[in-house]
Amino acid sequence: MKTKLASYALVLLIAVTLNFLLPRLMPGTPLRFLVGEDVALLPPESVRELLAQHGLDRPLWEQYLRYLRDLVRGDLGYSYRENKPVLSVLVERLPWTLLLTGTALMFSTVLGVLVGALAAWRHGSAFDVGALSLFVLLDSMPSFWLGMILIALFAVKLGWFPIFGAQTPWASFTGWQYVWDVLKHLALPVITLTMTTVSGTFLVMRSAMIGVLDEDYVRTARSKGASELRVLYYHALRNGLLPVATVFMINLGFVVSGATVVETVFSYPGLGRLLYEAVLQRDYPLMQGAFLLITVSVLFTNCLADLLYTRIDPRVRL
Amino acid sequence: MRNVPNVIGLTLFGVLGAIAIFAPAPYDPHERVGTPFQPPSPQHWLGTNDIGQDIFSEIIHGTRTSLLVGVLAAGGALLIGTVVGVTAGYAGGVVDAVLMRLVDVVLVVPFLPLMILLAAYLGPSLVTVIAVIAALTWARPARVIRSQVLSLKTLLYVEAAHAVGGGFWYVLRRHIVPAIVPLAMAQLVTVASSAILIESSLAFLGLGDPVQKSWGTVLYYAQARGAFLTGAWLWWVLPPGMLITLSVLSFALMGYALEARANPRLRQH
Repeated sequence: MKTKLASYALVLLIAVTLNFLLPRLMPGTPLRFLVGEDVALLPPESVRELLAQHGLDRPLWEQYLRYLRDLVRGDLGYSYRENKPVLSVLVERLPWTLLLTGTALMFSTVLGVLVGALAAWRHGSAFDVGALSLFVLLDSMPSFWLGMILIALFAVKLGWFPIFGAQTPWASFTGWQYVWDVLKHLALPVITLTMTTVSGTFLVMRSAMIGVLDEDYVRTARSKGASELRVLYYHALRNGLLPVATVFMINLGFVVSGATVVETVFSYPGLGRLLYEAVLQRDYPLMQGAFLLITVSVLFTNCLADLLYTRIDPRVRL
Repeated sequence: MRNVPNVIGLTLFGVLGAIAIFAPAPYDPHERVGTPFQPPSPQHWLGTNDIGQDIFSEIIHGTRTSLLVGVLAAGGALLIGTVVGVTAGYAGGVVDAVLMRLVDVVLVVPFLPLMILLAAYLGPSLVTVIAVIAALTWARPARVIRSQVLSLKTLLYVEAAHAVGGGFWYVLRRHIVPAIVPLAMAQLVTVASSAILIESSLAFLGLGDPVQKSWGTVLYYAQARGAFLTGAWLWWVLPPGMLITLSVLSFALMGYALEARANPRLRQH
């Protein structure tokens, strides 16, 4: 566990250092990245003043310490397009990303586990081959493209779902009406994200279960006269689930990456969309803040999954 | 039956490769050859885009960019992965521990957000895209190759080669490298499939090379001009996405087959 934690701490440090170094190592003045491209139009004395104000006239290591100190205090810089501190912009967007990725991760894990177990149980059958082909095909689809197709079919043509956003603009729903509105907006992005991330879980679950179903204790359960479904979901699934915990962690990275493009397609106001907007508007502090928060969330969830893994499988000592 | 996926993969790869090499496009994809926003017609099979370029020709030429990025990025990733994997597996000890920690770091970073960040700073160009993809996808091949080297190292013929005085480079060249080539090929193809997907995502977000036509950039303009809100999605959105899917699928299927060949234990499933 300690080495794992050290590993995550290292990732965090590298992400932070990258954020610090990128604007300073690029050609041209780093001010371009910290206060905006308009800096080129300023007279030299204002530029010097700005450099001093941001501490950019100090040696690099001093800048680094100052940067870390600000970070610890929650000062992520100022978004010059949104005219707000970066942190407050991030806090507005985080809940939407958590809602989207959390729901999609849950669906893709449950779906992958159930269908994967069934496919392994009927290994070699038409169902197995069909499921395998479908999931491999889904795995090859770009999520943004699938999202565009789903919008064209189910939102534009059939009108079942809204086309963009996380809630109806200028509507003031309350109570269940609000929940229903949010769910309607959530449906297509979640379906897109689930469909393009489910295959990892399915493939691992399927091959793990094929191994488990060969074990002696499964044969014993069968010969006791336990029903097939009980053997599958009560006896075999427990051990077959173990590798899924690992997949969950790998999948997490894919879901977060997928969310970045899916949020863009659906104009969903999460962190991924924010990152995209920041890139379009060349709002570097906001870009870095979004990247840092995404990285921290991924590391945090990885830690949780690691802890959980040691609880489910006592044989594992991290 | 077992060979069906491999045959599909190879066939798709052959067709896409031929399209990429010969580029049988009726028009220059950069030339304005018609009225903007035309539906499909005998002159323009997939209609025209927002500035009157022929979409069919764009997609045909896009095959070149997408496959090139996929193969070059995968080649770069495999080169780094092989050097790291062989070094870690062969050297062991502290070197191994440090390199594997590095692999863990690369594996856990959310790759697309990081790529977006890097591409935004470095500016959009084909070289940037290839380098960034290679720099963030080498970890999995490194891990696979390291474990292969670890098990090779204990084999009797490798020990024997050392015992009779074979030097490091000699053993590496004669015994280790030939033994990891099949595995490395499988990894190359697998990384290429994800590289194509990543390139299309970056291009879709507007971070690709604006000069090069790729499937992702076609979809970027389709999205920016709202093609999927009109009937135009049928000829502007559907075809490039299908080509991305088919090429990713082709590499993935070849990867599975190569992996099964390199590691016979996998063949049971």
